[in-house]
Amino acid sequence: MISQEELKAIFIEEATEIVEKLDVDIIRFEENSNDFELLNEIFRGVHTLKGNSNAFGFTRLGEFVHHFEDLLDYYRSTKERIEANNLELFVESVDVVKEVMGCELNSIKELPQSYTVCLENIKKLLDVKKNKIPAYTPQESPEVLKNLALEFDELPLFPDEDALEQSIKIHQAMQTEALNLYKITLTLDEDCYKRGFDHFIFLKIVGEQAKSLESFFSMKNIQTIEDFQSTQNSIDKVDIVALTPLVYGEIEEIFEFLFDHEYKITPIQAPPPPPQKEAEKEVETVCKSAANNNTETVSSTNANAPKSTIRIDTYKVDELFDSVGELVIAQNFIAQNREIRSIENETINRTIEVLSKITKKIQDRVMSLRMVAIKDTFEKMKRVVRDTSKKTGKEIHLIIQGEETEIDKTMIDSLSDPLIHIIRNAIDHGLESNTFEREKAGKNAEGIISLRAFHKSGNIVISVSDDGRGIDKERVLEKAIERGVLGENENLTDAQIFALIMQPGFSTAQTISDLSGRGVGLDVVKTSIEKLRGKIEIESKKGEGTTFSIILPLTLAIIDGMLVQVKEEIYIIPTLCVVESFRPEKEIVHAAKGKGEFVTLRKECIPIVRLSDVFNLDVAKSEPWESILVCVETEGGRIAIMIDELLGRQQVVIKTLGKSLARVREISGGAILGNGDIALILNVDALRPLGGS
Amino acid sequence: MKIDGDILTIDLNLSMDEIVTLEEFVRPRIEYIERIETEDGSVLSSSALLSLLVSIKKTRPEIEIPFLEKEQTISFASGTVHWKYHD
Repeated sequence: MISQEELKAIFIEEATEIVEKLDVDIIRFEENSNDFELLNEIFRGVHTLKGNSNAFGFTRLGEFVHHFEDLLDYYRSTKERIEANNLELFVESVDVVKEVMGCELNSIKELPQSYTVCLENIKKLLDVKKNKIPAYTPQESPEVLKNLALEFDELPLFPDEDALEQSIKIHQAMQTEALNLYKITLTLDEDCYKRGFDHFIFLKIVGEQAKSLESFFSMKNIQTIEDFQSTQNSIDKVDIVALTPLVYGEIEEIFEFLFDHEYKITPIQAPPPPPQKEAEKEVETVCKSAANNNTETVSSTNANAPKSTIRIDTYKVDELFDSVGELVIAQNFIAQNREIRSIENETINRTIEVLSKITKKIQDRVMSLRMVAIKDTFEKMKRVVRDTSKKTGKEIHLIIQGEETEIDKTMIDSLSDPLIHIIRNAIDHGLESNTFEREKAGKNAEGIISLRAFHKSGNIVISVSDDGRGIDKERVLEKAIERGVLGENENLTDAQIFALIMQPGFSTAQTISDLSGRGVGLDVVKTSIEKLRGKIEIESKKGEGTTFSIILPLTLAIIDGMLVQVKEEIYIIPTLCVVESFRPEKEIVHAAKGKGEFVTLRKECIPIVRLSDVFNLDVAKSEPWESILVCVETEGGRIAIMIDELLGRQQVVIKTLGKSLARVREISGGAILGNGDIALILNVDALRPLGGS
Repeated sequence: MKIDGDILTIDLNLSMDEIVTLEEFVRPRIEYIERIETEDGSVLSSSALLSLLVSIKKTRPEIEIPFLEKEQTISFASGTVHWKYHD
C-alpha cells in the first residue's frame, strides 16, 4: 500500500514534469499558434495537473488550472486563431501555474498577485469567447473588467454541452495507441449493496489501472428521508468514462459478477488523426515568436511523437552501472592475465573474446541508459531567450543545433543554470545595446544567439555564441590590473585574458542590470561546470561576437584518462586537460632559485611539477630531460607534469575514495585497472610546482 | 460521527453498517441539524452514503452540506465523481 507521503512525492515528480513541459510547449506554441496538436498536448498536461492538484487538496492550483483548461479547450475545439495578446495570457498562465505550484508545495498562504489578475483575465476571455459579454476593448478600466469577471464567475462547468459528452471528447483527445477509452454504464439493481456491490467498488477497480477516470451519478430517483433506505440502491444510473491500458476483455472481467442487465461497456474510438502537416516533415524550421525573436531549430524529429518509456529510479541505474563497472574490471583482468593468456586452447581464447565483446556491449547499453538528449534543456532556453529579449528590448534570432546530442542525465540537471546565465549574459552584454548600434556596425537589426551541442574528441561541447560586439580585451586587462589580479607587465594569451572575466566579482559591464553584470554569475558558472569535471573556453573577436564553449566529459561515471607511471605507481590524468606530452631537450629546461623548474615550450615558460615530489615517492632524483613531461591546462595556467613513463590512454570507471584520501586535494578519485591494480586520478588544478605559486 | 450543537460531522469513508447507523441517527433529528460537515482528508467510498446525503438534502434543502453542494469529488482511488443533488 502506497502511503500518502509517497503519493505526494509521485504527485510532485509528475506535476514538476508537467509544468516543465508546459513551460517549453507554450513557447513552441507561441512560435506556431496554428499547431493545434501542440495545443492538445498542452491541454492534456493542464487536464492531468488539474486532477492531481485537486486530489491532493491543492485547490488554489486546481482552481486556476481548471479555468485555464476551459480556455485551452475552447481554442482547441473551435480551432479559432489565437490573438497575439491572448497568446501572452497563455504564457503568463503557465508562469502563474509554476508560481502557485511552488506556493502549494511549500504551504505558502499568500499567492502571487498575478494569480488573481491572470485568473480574472482567463475568465473574462472565456466569457468574451462564449459571447456572454462584449469583447474587451483597451479603453475599459480594470475595475470594469473585474466586475464583469465577477458577474460571470459562476458559469457552469460545461455550459453548452452535456457533461458526459464533454468528458468523452476530452478523453478522446488524450487517447493514444496504448490507452483505450470506454464508456461504462452501471444500472445496478436495488439489492446490489446486499450482494456486496457498490458503484465505488467498481470505480476503484477500474481506477487501479486507469490513466484517467471520470464518473457521473444520476441521483434523480433518490427519495426524501421518509422513503429512503440506505441498504437499497436508488441510483438509477452511473456513467463511467475510463481511459485505461486495459483491453475490452479485461474490463469485462471486472463486471463479470454483475447481472448482464446491470452494466454496459462501450469502447470509444479515437478521433481520426489530423493530416500530417508539411511543417513536421521539414528538416529545418524557422519560427517567429510573438516577441519578435526567431528560433531556428535544426532537427528532424517530431517533438510530439509518443515514446514508449518506463520510469526507473536513477539510483537503480547507478547500481547497475557500478555492477557493470565491476564486470568490466573482471573481464579486463581475464583478458590481461598472463597465465590465462598463455593457455593455448582455442575454445578458451574464443570464449574470452566473446566475453570481451559482450561485456563491451553491456557497458555501452548501460551507459546509454544514463544518456538523455539535451533537447529539453535547449527547449527551456527558448523561454530564457524570449524573456530576456523582451526585458532588454533587443530583437533576437535564436539558432539551435544538435539538440539530439546525448549527455549524462546527472549533468543535464546541473547544466540549466549555467546555460541560462551565459545566454542572458550574451543577450544583455554580448549583443549591441540597440538596433542603431548594430546597423552602424553593418549588422542586421536582429541579434543572433546560437546554441549548439556536438561531440568533439570524445567530449561534449555546448556552445553559446552571439554576433555582438565581442569582449573588449583592453578593458578586461585594465580592470584586472586595477583589481590587482594581474601585474602590469604580464603577457597573457587571448584565452587567458577572456578567462579573467570568470574570476569572482569581475565584471566589465558599464551598467548593472538585474539580468547580469554583477560579476557574481560567471564565476559561479565556471565552478558549476568544473564540478561536472568540465571546463569553459571563451573565444571572442572585437566587433564580431563571442562564443562560450562548455566542454564536458561524456559521463560522470567514466573518465577518459592518460595512464602515467612514476616509479611503481600508476596515475591517471584526465585527457580533457592534456595538451601534449614530450621529452624535453636539456636546453629548454631551466631552474630559478626559489621558483622551481621551468620548461620553455614555443616561447612559453611552463612550470614543471614532479609527481614524485607531490606524493613523496621515494625515488632517486632524475632530470626532466631524462623523463617525460605531460603538459596540462589548469585553472592557474599550464603546467608540465613530470613522469617516468606514459602507459597509454584508457577509459576507466571512477571509484570514489574513502574519507581519508578524499581530503588529498591532488587526487579526485580512483579507478581499478584491468590487472586489478588501483590507480589514482589526478586533480590537475591542485598540482603546484614546489617553490612556485 | 460527531454532533456539536446543530452541526453534524461525519467521516466519508463509512461501511454499510455505519451508513445505516447514520441514517437512523439523522432520521429523527433532521429538523435540528443545520449543517453536515465532513472530516478533513476523508474520502467518499460508497454510493450508499452519497445517496443518503442527497436524500437528506432533498428532505431539507436548507441543511448545508458543503461536500454535497460541490457536486464533485476527486480522489486517487475513484477519479473524478460528479453528481447533481437537485432535480
